[in-house]
Amino acid sequence: MIDRGSKPIGRVVATEVLPASPHQFHFWTAVEAPLGIGAIVRVENGGDGRVVYAVVTDGKAYSDLATPLHDVLAAEGNPTGEAPTSRAEIRLWTAAVLRQVPEEPVQPVPLAEVRLASRVDVETALRMDAYLRGERPTGIPVGLYTAGGLSSPVYVDADFLLGPESAHLNITGISGLATKTSAVEFLIGSIFEHFPTHKGRVAAVCFNVKGPDLCFLDQPGPLTDAEKQMYVDLGIEPKPFENVSYYAPFRPDGVNLNTLRSNPELVGTVEPLVWGLREVLDYHEVLLNRDDVDAKADAFIDFLADRVVEKEFADEWGNLHRVKNFIDLERLFRAIFDGLESAGRSDMWRTHHIATIRKVRNRLLNISVRCKGLVTDDGSVSDLPFGTFEDRRVYVIDVAGMDNLGQDLVFTRIVSQLREHLERRNLGVEHVVVFVDELNKYAPQDGPDTYVRKMLLDISERGRYLGLVLFGAQQFRSQVHKRVVGNAGTVLFGRMDLDELATPGYQVLSPATKIKMATMPKGELMIRHPHFTHPVFVKFPRPAVLTGRGGVERFPPAVDVSFEDAVARQLAQLDRGVAAARVKDLIAGRPEDDVRRALLATRRARPKDVLTFFQSRLPTAVQRTEMKPKSGVSVVRPVEDPYGP
Amino acid sequence: MAHAGIRKVIVRAGGVAGGGRMATHAGAPLETPFGTAEIVEGDRIRAIPVIPREAPPGVAFLGGIQRYSVDGWFGATPVVRAHVAAAALCRNGGELVTVATRHEDFLVAPLAVLSDSEREALAAREERLYPSEPGSRRHPLLEIQLAVQVVDRRRAEVEATVAKEYREAKPGGLLVVDGSVTAHSAFAKDSRLLGIVKSHETQFLNGADVVTAMTLEPGHRSSVFAPKYERGAPVHSWYVRLWPWEGQDITHGLVRVERYATDASVSEADEISGWLMRERAPLSTPDARWDRLLYPIHRVEDLLRAKAGSWS
Repeated sequence: MIDRGSKPIGRVVATEVLPASPHQFHFWTAVEAPLGIGAIVRVENGGDGRVVYAVVTDGKAYSDLATPLHDVLAAEGNPTGEAPTSRAEIRLWTAAVLRQVPEEPVQPVPLAEVRLASRVDVETALRMDAYLRGERPTGIPVGLYTAGGLSSPVYVDADFLLGPESAHLNITGISGLATKTSAVEFLIGSIFEHFPTHKGRVAAVCFNVKGPDLCFLDQPGPLTDAEKQMYVDLGIEPKPFENVSYYAPFRPDGVNLNTLRSNPELVGTVEPLVWGLREVLDYHEVLLNRDDVDAKADAFIDFLADRVVEKEFADEWGNLHRVKNFIDLERLFRAIFDGLESAGRSDMWRTHHIATIRKVRNRLLNISVRCKGLVTDDGSVSDLPFGTFEDRRVYVIDVAGMDNLGQDLVFTRIVSQLREHLERRNLGVEHVVVFVDELNKYAPQDGPDTYVRKMLLDISERGRYLGLVLFGAQQFRSQVHKRVVGNAGTVLFGRMDLDELATPGYQVLSPATKIKMATMPKGELMIRHPHFTHPVFVKFPRPAVLTGRGGVERFPPAVDVSFEDAVARQLAQLDRGVAAARVKDLIAGRPEDDVRRALLATRRARPKDVLTFFQSRLPTAVQRTEMKPKSGVSVVRPVEDPYGP
Repeated sequence: MAHAGIRKVIVRAGGVAGGGRMATHAGAPLETPFGTAEIVEGDRIRAIPVIPREAPPGVAFLGGIQRYSVDGWFGATPVVRAHVAAAALCRNGGELVTVATRHEDFLVAPLAVLSDSEREALAAREERLYPSEPGSRRHPLLEIQLAVQVVDRRRAEVEATVAKEYREAKPGGLLVVDGSVTAHSAFAKDSRLLGIVKSHETQFLNGADVVTAMTLEPGHRSSVFAPKYERGAPVHSWYVRLWPWEGQDITHGLVRVERYATDASVSEADEISGWLMRERAPLSTPDARWDRLLYPIHRVEDLLRAKAGSWS
């Protein structure tokens, strides 16, 4: 039985010029009707029981004034003059059909009464009934549809958000309005709470590419009563993320972490992200300029990766190499150059020209300099826990402080690793949401065909089968590669720039919808989803986490300290009982690389007795002895004629 | 001589430029061109300036429409189908709200000259069937005119019924009707009924009084006079010029106000004329009579036309 719901607010009208069609119709309402762009309405034909659900896409108002000049004449040129009778005025709305019940036969919209949609109507209109009802619902709350006093949750289908039917989410909006990042944080929280267990485990990997945006997801943020009520309406608990892991590379000093989450209260929860030669060599394409590294260099790098790195390798001059890190690699290069020189063959080595070898040496060894803090010379590694990813955990990789090259490397390698583990089904979870902001930088529509862009295209087109889901954000959707945005099943729009709305991608939207998009307040989005015939507007509450700005105010980042202090502080974070003075004594006079290796090993192991473990990882200290000049050596006398007898 | 040149000559000679609208045939002869009247405000018709002022609250406006068509013939006898309707809208805070409305669809024919079977066929089709007077000699066009007189009467009767319904609903409200108040004899002595006459077919004044009344400047009214009607209660009336008529016809913007005669109908003439000046806005365009048609009456007609729908 059809729920008649609210009282009629208008009536469908059709003329030869403005006919009602199966996809669009027009209706009038009283001037004061609580209706606006984006409102969902229901038209019900009493005759055959056909019900049409539609969303308002445009509105017009006009009076019976024949020409503006007549108003001037009647007012005798006085704009403040008030006429005793108000002119007859009309509110004429245009609505786009969302759904007809029954679906067949498809017919023009009946010329019948128009009502505001009820909660049940919203469900039906957006075809949410298909995935909210039944034994295995897959609805994920994405926001509240609000119109005419109604506040009704809108759900997206997990099968179409995280795969396998369709997947990926793209969000566009002007920067600085706290919409893109907030929406993604809110949505990931909603996914974690509502993603059905029968669909498996889910985790999120978020790349923090600017400022402190994602650095405080585990800290509670302030919410108004209205926002708390929105959480209640959406069935989501307003709380920060309970399980968050933070990763950040070191600064070039190798001990201070390169993150704004460096306040002493929090920095202990940030894991260092440190890679060695193997991690880098696999993704050399990201780091090396394609114009510089040709096919010959590629072949030599492949040779190193396949035959040399982490293998026993004997050169022609009797040296046995086991290259594990950049230091070993430099040793190998030295041996090759010396060997070729001593053998008098200075042009070729194993079919590779010496110039190619020199070029590859320069480029590869330079990586550890350019990405210092992330890439170590000595092969120490601290990485994400690929293989033991946890269900409903957020992994934040803070690369905001890195240069573009480092960001590209981190992004490429981590996403590639996620894909490989998901392919092998051994990541630890079945679905991973990867959040990437500034997508126009990583996957631009124009510009060079970079490795990063190729990888993003690959995720966009094939990720849904693996459970690898891209949540991308950018300010200008038109500047992102079409195949990346085109493959996003769910699309969110925050407040938009008018220039962006003037681009061809937005031609399908009515001028009124565009104006609404250009003036949307914080916390409001337009959402497009495969189940929704037309985009709908929703409101969402602020995420219940501390914003980047709020976090930095509450937890001011620590100032970088000296090498010794940084080591002492990091060990103290693992064990508050560790005395700084004792640590400084232990590391005094030791090479910094030795200390870094020991520190990294200690952080990785997290032993009970931190100081003892740390000490055990330090190389045995060689006792310094003062060398005195030997006595009794005769002074060499100057010789006038060195060739003389 | 060019059109503009003649107008200038007339103006220079102390006259007023006319509208200069082109016509090809003389209009229909005036049926009742002259009436008589007694001046009740002073001893001659004067032009009295009026000050625009606010309309009293809760004024209602009554108007009607009529439509007809010759839908068939029995021999040379026309059968007229007609629709008449009337409505009263009350103004509340600038908004017009319908208080009473009526409509009637009917057929008109000279039943006396039709056969039994023809009458029965018409009666079976339409519940309301009104007879018109047959002409003294058979003349199809004359018989159409006689049928239209029936339509006119029915419209006046429907308007009178709506006026009564309005008065029952709002006993103390001021009601402005489109046309003469004499069509509402039930309201004799009711000073809250006001008629706005737009046509000036019957001229009640004479001599210099006519010139004064018909050449009023905008924002002026004439002295009050009492037109002599053959039947009904005594009526007081005066002219008000709403819009300048220079360059237009002499009746442009000129309305005649009617009230049943009471002491107040003279003393309140300034006040009523004042708020009629305010009723000039909004303009009732695109109606051709916009210079004399009050916007609320225009709205009444629009409402009735919209309710009547298309004529098919």
